[in-house]
Amino acid sequence: MVFVINIVSSSTLTFTLFLSHSLSLQAICFLKKKKKKITMNEGAIGGDLLLNYTDMSVLERQRAHLKYLNPSFDSPLAGFFADSSMINGGEMDGYLATAGLNLPMIYGETTVEGDPRMSIPLETTLGTGNFRKRKFDTVTKDCNEKKKKMNREEVTEGEEEEKSKITELNNGSPKSIKKMKNKAKKEENNCSNDSSKVTKELEKTDYIHVRARRGQATDSHSIAERVRREKISERMKFLQDLVPGCDKFTGKAGMLDEIINYVQSLQRQIEFLSMKLAVVNPRPDFDMDDIFAKEVVSTPMTVVPSPEMVHSGYSHEMVNSGYSNEMVNSGYVHFNPMQQVDTSSDPLSCFNNNGQAPSMWDSDVQNLYGSLGV
Amino acid sequence: MQPTSSMNEEFLKKWQMGLQIFRPSIDNTSVHERKKAIKLSADVAMASLRKGTTCWSRALIEKTATEDNFLVRQMLSGIKAEALINKKLPKKIVCHRKIVRRSKKILRRKSKSASEEAAAKAKRLVKRRTQGLRNVVPGGELMSNDVLLLQETLDYIVSLQTQVNVMRSIVDAAEAEIDQR
Repeated sequence: MVFVINIVSSSTLTFTLFLSHSLSLQAICFLKKKKKKITMNEGAIGGDLLLNYTDMSVLERQRAHLKYLNPSFDSPLAGFFADSSMINGGEMDGYLATAGLNLPMIYGETTVEGDPRMSIPLETTLGTGNFRKRKFDTVTKDCNEKKKKMNREEVTEGEEEEKSKITELNNGSPKSIKKMKNKAKKEENNCSNDSSKVTKELEKTDYIHVRARRGQATDSHSIAERVRREKISERMKFLQDLVPGCDKFTGKAGMLDEIINYVQSLQRQIEFLSMKLAVVNPRPDFDMDDIFAKEVVSTPMTVVPSPEMVHSGYSHEMVNSGYSNEMVNSGYVHFNPMQQVDTSSDPLSCFNNNGQAPSMWDSDVQNLYGSLGV
Repeated sequence: MQPTSSMNEEFLKKWQMGLQIFRPSIDNTSVHERKKAIKLSADVAMASLRKGTTCWSRALIEKTATEDNFLVRQMLSGIKAEALINKKLPKKIVCHRKIVRRSKKILRRKSKSASEEAAAKAKRLVKRRTQGLRNVVPGGELMSNDVLLLQETLDYIVSLQTQVNVMRSIVDAAEAEIDQR
């Protein structure tokens, strides 16, 4: 009897020791936050615990990433709206959508894809040494196809990665992990510049996709910084398309300079044009009937700005700004630099003609005409 | 993206509505007054197009409202956008100069390598430029981060382009008409 009790007690003792050992190990790993070899190999621990270890490590990783993600999770593109809405107290109604940018399309896709990935299982989360280095990186900054590819890959590679995990652990070195990941990730390389590793995904598809870059710091601050930088560079790209003559500059400072000049020139142009209008028209309602009757009859036109118009206006504006005062004083003057832009004698035909738009313009003009009560 | 024709039309409509309000008061005034009225109504029309979604539009309306409150209110009511005048703006970012100067002095004391210095210089340049951009874009000082600033700049540029195009087309039409007389 006594023997039995002793045996039982000893087994329980060993079991508790076992557990405590594993817990402490994980606690140590969690606390130290250093990259180190799998210490499990050192201890006299069975294979099944290894499996448990990997499970927990992956889950923990996912959990940690989710925690990092939660405050600001959106792909950097979706953050286009979300971020600013947070800052403005939620008042951004996607104005860019109304403005016609095709950004919402991109964002719609990413957010839809992101959501199922957001939910992670609520398993235990204990720290590990090696896997903490895999940090979350919402990849959408590169391209959409990449994400889709990743999704597909995650699903298919689930089981493989399980096995690979075990083999990695046996190897115990981070480099082997990298190799395996790189092999798996070859299809994605066209989208990413630097070699990135994708962390595993178990059979459950609702895991966060995590990746860290080679040779880059992976703590949350630098990741946030990176996300922010990517957002800024994306906006700069759009600005580059918008501002004429910005493609020569590659750096932020030069482009910003160009943007400032452009905005200032546009503002000056508006002042100048309003002055001109004040001079030309004694009445503030522009005599719309006179102006547009001719247009409606003869040339259906649309006010569709061509890039060259704006650009040439930009360059001509520099010339005109000095003249504006004298011009005004002398009364109505024919401004040659502005007219040079016109390609034909009819000043309004310098705008490109859209096929469908002219009818809209005409009807609108008629409405205005009527509304002015003339 | 370039401003579309629909944007041009909307802007024109609102602008006309705004100018109509000015009509009785500015029949015989000087060129300057007319110009101010034109520009003001154009600005308000442009800002109201955004319906309060962007920071710069609200800041612009706020600015014009303080200068010429009554007329702006009238205009906004004419354009049916009265709610815009009450929209809140984010707080202004206050930089205490003493603290900034002190921190700069501390930074300067640290030894720098050549590459660090170059990077620091580039950063300073970028900072200066962003500050310049904040000065130019209405409501720029109120934007807390660079990302938002760039976004607002984008929208602002598009609106400015709309304005310029519409105005220019009208001016050209008026000129052509006068030429023909």
